[in-house]
Amino acid sequence: MNRPDLTHMTKVEVVVGAADVAAVRGVFEAAGATGFTSVSAVSGLGHGGYHQGRLLFNQQGALELLITVVGDDALDGLIAGLGPLLQERPGVMFVSDTYVSRPEYFA
Amino acid sequence: MTSPIASVIPETSAPRLARTRDRPASLPQRRSERARLRTDVALATEVLAPVWPLQQFIAINPLGGLEGRAFEDAVLATESTLGIRGTLDEASYRREYARGRISDAELRSALRRRLSSSLDRTLVLGGQRWDAADLLRVDLVHGTPAPAARRESRTLAERTAPAVAEAIDRQTTKWCAAFLDRGQATWVMPGRELGLFGAWRRLARADRSLPAAARQRVSGIPERGEDALLWALDELRIPAVEHRGYLQAHLACLPGWAGHVRWRAEHTGDVDIVDYLAVRVVLERLLLSPAGADPAPIPPPAPVERAPDTASRARHVVAALGATAEVSSDERRALAALLDLLPVETRRFVWLEAYEARFRNDLLADLTPRPESSRDDDLRDGQRATGGAEPVVERPAAQLVCCIDTRSELLRRHLEALGPYETLGFAGFFAVAVRFQSLAGGAATSRCPVLIEPSNELREHAASGHERGAARRISGLRAIDGAERSFHAAKDDLFGPFALAEASGWLTGPAAAARTFASAGYARARASIRQHVAPEALTDLPVEEAFTFDERTLLAEVALRMMGLTEGFGRLVVLCGHGSTTENNPYASALQCGACGGHPGDLNARIAAAILNGAGVREHLDAAGIEIPVDTWFVAAEHDTTSDRIRLLDRHLLPNSHAGAWDALAADLDRAGTASSAERCASLPGAGTPRSASAAVRHTRARGSDWAQVYPEWGLAGNAAFIVGPRELTRGLDLGGRAFLHSYDADGDPSGASLETILTAPLVVAEWINLQYYFSTVDPDLFGAGTKTIHNVVGGIGVLSGPGGDLRRGLPWQSVAIGDQLVHEPVRLLAAVQAPTARIDAIVDRNPLLQDLIGNGWISLAARGQASDPWLRHTSRGWMPWTTTNDEAR
Repeated sequence: MNRPDLTHMTKVEVVVGAADVAAVRGVFEAAGATGFTSVSAVSGLGHGGYHQGRLLFNQQGALELLITVVGDDALDGLIAGLGPLLQERPGVMFVSDTYVSRPEYFA
Repeated sequence: MTSPIASVIPETSAPRLARTRDRPASLPQRRSERARLRTDVALATEVLAPVWPLQQFIAINPLGGLEGRAFEDAVLATESTLGIRGTLDEASYRREYARGRISDAELRSALRRRLSSSLDRTLVLGGQRWDAADLLRVDLVHGTPAPAARRESRTLAERTAPAVAEAIDRQTTKWCAAFLDRGQATWVMPGRELGLFGAWRRLARADRSLPAAARQRVSGIPERGEDALLWALDELRIPAVEHRGYLQAHLACLPGWAGHVRWRAEHTGDVDIVDYLAVRVVLERLLLSPAGADPAPIPPPAPVERAPDTASRARHVVAALGATAEVSSDERRALAALLDLLPVETRRFVWLEAYEARFRNDLLADLTPRPESSRDDDLRDGQRATGGAEPVVERPAAQLVCCIDTRSELLRRHLEALGPYETLGFAGFFAVAVRFQSLAGGAATSRCPVLIEPSNELREHAASGHERGAARRISGLRAIDGAERSFHAAKDDLFGPFALAEASGWLTGPAAAARTFASAGYARARASIRQHVAPEALTDLPVEEAFTFDERTLLAEVALRMMGLTEGFGRLVVLCGHGSTTENNPYASALQCGACGGHPGDLNARIAAAILNGAGVREHLDAAGIEIPVDTWFVAAEHDTTSDRIRLLDRHLLPNSHAGAWDALAADLDRAGTASSAERCASLPGAGTPRSASAAVRHTRARGSDWAQVYPEWGLAGNAAFIVGPRELTRGLDLGGRAFLHSYDADGDPSGASLETILTAPLVVAEWINLQYYFSTVDPDLFGAGTKTIHNVVGGIGVLSGPGGDLRRGLPWQSVAIGDQLVHEPVRLLAAVQAPTARIDAIVDRNPLLQDLIGNGWISLAARGQASDPWLRHTSRGWMPWTTTNDEAR
């Protein structure tokens, strides 16, 4: 896609357990991401089987989706931090191209 | 995008990180290093459980971060990283064996469950044939003990300069106590807005306890914690691949402070574990070589004591057997191969399982229906039953809903013995998760399990028509608070104590004497004065403001369905929270309701009762199939677990039509409380043998007001089981206060939604409590808080043992033992659930947290579909009969 009104950036989405959310946020910050969006209590089916989403009285047992958008200068840092984390902790990471209209928000 | 990330340190301010590099790292490179460091820190921290502040002591599994691993693996890993002891030692288990607490049969069963078919053979030794399990049992009982667990990862300072390592710990304690203080210190640490590392960096330049050369170098250290930590690691020549292990070694030095920093980072966000590590590792670099010379080479690790090899174990076994004939070398090799199946380091886990078997087998046998004649015999004997506890068949005189807390079991049992009462168990927050601000104001507190972050807020109001009384109470409380603050401020002032002693010594001296020698009278006098200055005021809880109608109806329906109370309502349904009244007890919150976040449960009971009495909510429940009679009234009460007093809350809301019913119930609650106190009194140290039940009551109540009493009550000591099912399962049984009891009606929960909530929340809290008691007992030094007698409250967040050292975590020794005698048996939790196993399987399959807890051996799970079914054991191979071997059949 080549549109002059949009700027190419990279979107990183991470799904982890509630216990690892702080670690992911720490990596986001250290890598230079300027913000993120989080969606709590996501559910789904993975190689570990079906994972229940929202539990009535236990938010710590839930999964959380964290999304950030970064430029090339922060991407290496994100991968350097998140890769080893997800090798040892349950979770997944998706990296994809994305386009934003206000790139200054993400740099 | 939301939530911009703030940082007080500009990242462009970081100087060159790597002293070995030819040119400064680029910004992307620096960011990568920081991000990788963040991950190393996060993974290093997983062995470290957060340490809650004392005001809201929360019992947790100290190895909670490792629940994804098998219990045994997690214990062994933590023993080598933190140097803890994760089980009793073999000598302790052998003493239990010697006194008959562990039997040969239980040992053999534990071996068979661990090694299964590998034990289906015999070995010939010296012409005599031996059962394989028996040979391993001999090794367990007579083998050379395994060496004590030892922390393997150590910091450079610990290995090369122990005095420096001690200095780092002293500095860490000093600065953490100052930075993390929550209002106890008179002077606030300057520069706190810079974060722990930034504030330390600013002040360390003038810290005369550091060498002058080290102080001079502080200014050249990167300002940002991450960069400073990377700088120090690089200076110490710690390769990047070893960062995680090295940082873990630093976390292991003072796990209490590190654990509290972790809690603060996750809950209040005013400190960062990276900053904590940066202070320590930078100090290490500076103190190991103040002038900046290269650090000394890292010496090889000290040799560790080796466990006996299998050949020597085999010789030991042969000697213990007293074999008279010569044992051939082939026979010895075969024996050694057998012993190889059970490495020395893992023998403790066989002992643990055998140790757990007695209570579990006995409990499940008691929960198994027997012929009426047999049960009648038990009731007559009074061995395990209280007698007179016939099931309620008609409308109960009242229903008492207690917390699942193990202490409720006594009260329930004694009340049921007094009349046609029905009791139920439910998590003591009564499904109400709220942030609460009392009439007196102050900081709001979360009243719910720490598994939940409440989104509703409620502020207590004066009851209509009682505004003047409320105003008087508020002004009285402010006056008391002001007086206390002034008194403490005078004590902390430089010259104030002299004037204070002159001005108030005539009063405080006799008061201290009265408090010591007549504690009950002193407590009554103080309460009387307090009541005079700030008389109790009637208040209302505006539940309609705090919760939407949909939230109230959901809460009401969930609570009733979860506890299986959907029909057969009495005229009075008492929601009985619990709290504890003790004096001069930094661990007071450990005795409060865990389901209410370490607070008393009175508020949650009041809110739940108010919601359940709401007309609109009743209409909704009626439409949902829960028909509550119009004459049923929910009332809130509180059980003081130290005194066993039960008091009615919000009496002004009780209809006149129900006053008589309450008075009758209150009289029986008083009798039940007396019986509970008398029962508890027998186990309290120093209680002697009271002459009567009323003398026992006086004694237990006096303990709560005694400021020198280190054993006000036993809390949840002894907890070992979590029973989910109808009360018929346990009614009439004396469970000795060892079981969490959660009511559940499987027939009324075909979808399993209620059971899923029970297993993913109350069971998790019970598991945390159980393992907090377990680990505080097996390692009172590192997992427990040690003896109370030398505790020194620091920063309003925790205690030290004496003037310095690590922040203590876990429970004090006086919560689990008397002298060297354990009161709490360190066993893991057994969850016994009466529900269809297919339903349980479905719930476990979709909840990884349950897969971890059950599959990894943090708890054991037994289940049966209905009362007439035999108990089944959840295993990795599916459900098996609870007694799987002849050894276990009793």
